[in-house]
Amino acid sequence: MHTKSIQVLAVICLFALSACAPEMVERAASHAAAVVHFGSERSLGRIDKNPSTPFLRYAPDGRLFAVWSEDHDVLWPEGKHAGGHQRMSGDRSPSPMRNVFLAWSADGGGTWSSPTRVNSSVEAVQGEENGPKVAFGKDNKAYVVWSIPGAKGDKTRANVRFAMEDGNGDFTPAGTLNEIKDAARFPIIETTPEGNLLVAWIDRRIDNPKPRQLYLMRLGADGKALTKNYQAGEGLCECCKLGISFADAGKTVYIVDREVDANKIRNHVLRKSTDGGKNFDAPVEISNDGWQVPSCPHSGPSIGRDSRGRLHVAWFTLGRLEQEAGIYYSVSKDGGRSFAPRSLIHANTAPETLYNHLCVGDDDTVYFAWTNLDGDNKAQVYLRTIAADGRTWSPIQQISHATGNASRPVLALMHDILHIAWTETDGETSRVVFRSATVNR
Amino acid sequence: MNSSIPKLELAHWQSLASSLLIMIGAFAIAMPAAPARAQHVHPAPRSFAPVVGAAAPPFDLNTLDGTAAQLQTFHGKPLVVNFFASWCDPCREEMPLLNDLAVKGAQQGYNVLGIAVEDTRAAVTEYAREAKLVFPIALDLNSTVKRAYRIFGPPATFFIDRRGFVRDVVLGPITAERAREALKKAGIDL
Repeated sequence: MHTKSIQVLAVICLFALSACAPEMVERAASHAAAVVHFGSERSLGRIDKNPSTPFLRYAPDGRLFAVWSEDHDVLWPEGKHAGGHQRMSGDRSPSPMRNVFLAWSADGGGTWSSPTRVNSSVEAVQGEENGPKVAFGKDNKAYVVWSIPGAKGDKTRANVRFAMEDGNGDFTPAGTLNEIKDAARFPIIETTPEGNLLVAWIDRRIDNPKPRQLYLMRLGADGKALTKNYQAGEGLCECCKLGISFADAGKTVYIVDREVDANKIRNHVLRKSTDGGKNFDAPVEISNDGWQVPSCPHSGPSIGRDSRGRLHVAWFTLGRLEQEAGIYYSVSKDGGRSFAPRSLIHANTAPETLYNHLCVGDDDTVYFAWTNLDGDNKAQVYLRTIAADGRTWSPIQQISHATGNASRPVLALMHDILHIAWTETDGETSRVVFRSATVNR
Repeated sequence: MNSSIPKLELAHWQSLASSLLIMIGAFAIAMPAAPARAQHVHPAPRSFAPVVGAAAPPFDLNTLDGTAAQLQTFHGKPLVVNFFASWCDPCREEMPLLNDLAVKGAQQGYNVLGIAVEDTRAAVTEYAREAKLVFPIALDLNSTVKRAYRIFGPPATFFIDRRGFVRDVVLGPITAERAREALKKAGIDL
């Protein structure tokens, strides 16, 4: 009798464990995705001009483009520098003027064209979170947006500039898109499926009562305005980049941003338009992180859409407790009506604002790149993936090995070639680093 | 009678052994392969917050005019350290107050030092000119001081007493009233 009891118990255990097995195997698989093997580092731009803030994008013809900013050649003339404590000892002050450069590669980043300067006049082109962006028309024409400080040199009361390829290997003179001057920055640009352009930015023409609005405008393929500036949302955090994605042949537009409420809680929201960006539904909260912070963290979210219509979002938050700080991820499987509970991609290793970017592969694998501090307290770029099953996470990989700090990683993917670029700074110098990897094989 | 006992015990142990084998087999089926180790993942520290009452972390920077800016050189007088960036909206909004504090500091016996973080010499120099800053600005180009003071981002203002201890910290924008309160803790009664 006793023996039979033991055997029955063993069989029950067997069934119980068998029932648990799939979940346990899934948990194991959640760490079992392969790492990405990147090729060697390459540099973009002129090292002596401190290139920074890269943005990567493929054109329809398969060329990979990079846009970044570099120092302008001249120094401020004598006497233009600051007074009192800020006077440079017997030297001229460095110029804040920087230029936007665009270059392309037809061999997946192996070799690059000579960079073309985009801005026609000398301007203090803004970088970092507010760096230049590029989009392409069906004819591969490049359209570029960037931000410059306002009339008094104030970066926070800035202007959105726009230029496009002129068909002769150069760019048209830049124009300002915001109709109210000194009120717009953090522009993003996308080509709509019908071939027009949608530009969005963070606007401060109305400073109160709820600071910062989401403004948009449409341009034709010829660069001419199709609409005036129009407000599509409010309550945006003042200096966190926007993310954008299209669906349904351009009828649906998704924009993600960090919102700030009256209590200075800065959660992320998705804003959805089903009429091509003319009107937007009420924002949907992506995650109630509850991070209450009096000033803007200057680190915006990223969004990507996969072949099944799922929306993937990544962002940085401290949450309600500092121990929650890190880069997080969520997915919407219902077209942005709701989001799954957040998943931690990487916890902060030290008090530091982290920056992120994501892209989605043809097989619906999502690639995340972000910054975090390494064991030597230097900011480095990290990478992780989640497979199409939504459960299988790869290990965290360190991609950069900066001697100073690495920042602002950006990803681009064409079929099975993944590219990553970032800015490395060390003291007063900076450079753009670029690496590529073959994936999905 | 006596001989049947060992037989029963043997059967019992055989059964137990077979049961254990079944269980081991079940575990073998259920247990996952060893998960791949995540690379370079560091445990988060217990707290990220700056510590009031502790000695201010030392720093060794240079100001825009090339003068050395070290914490020890400010010992003997209270010091207001403001972390800022030229691109930071709230930093710009509080700069008139910091300029005012710097002017009063010259009369009341304390110093104000701006430490620019996540910025460039060119941008900070231009901003200092534009904002007419009257206090020295040091460049923390590699973020080492920002990390030593454990702040996530600008603005953040530390009030350090004449012996070099942090007496108050304001994370985010500062108001005149809050500055007065913090200065008092650092030994200055405005």
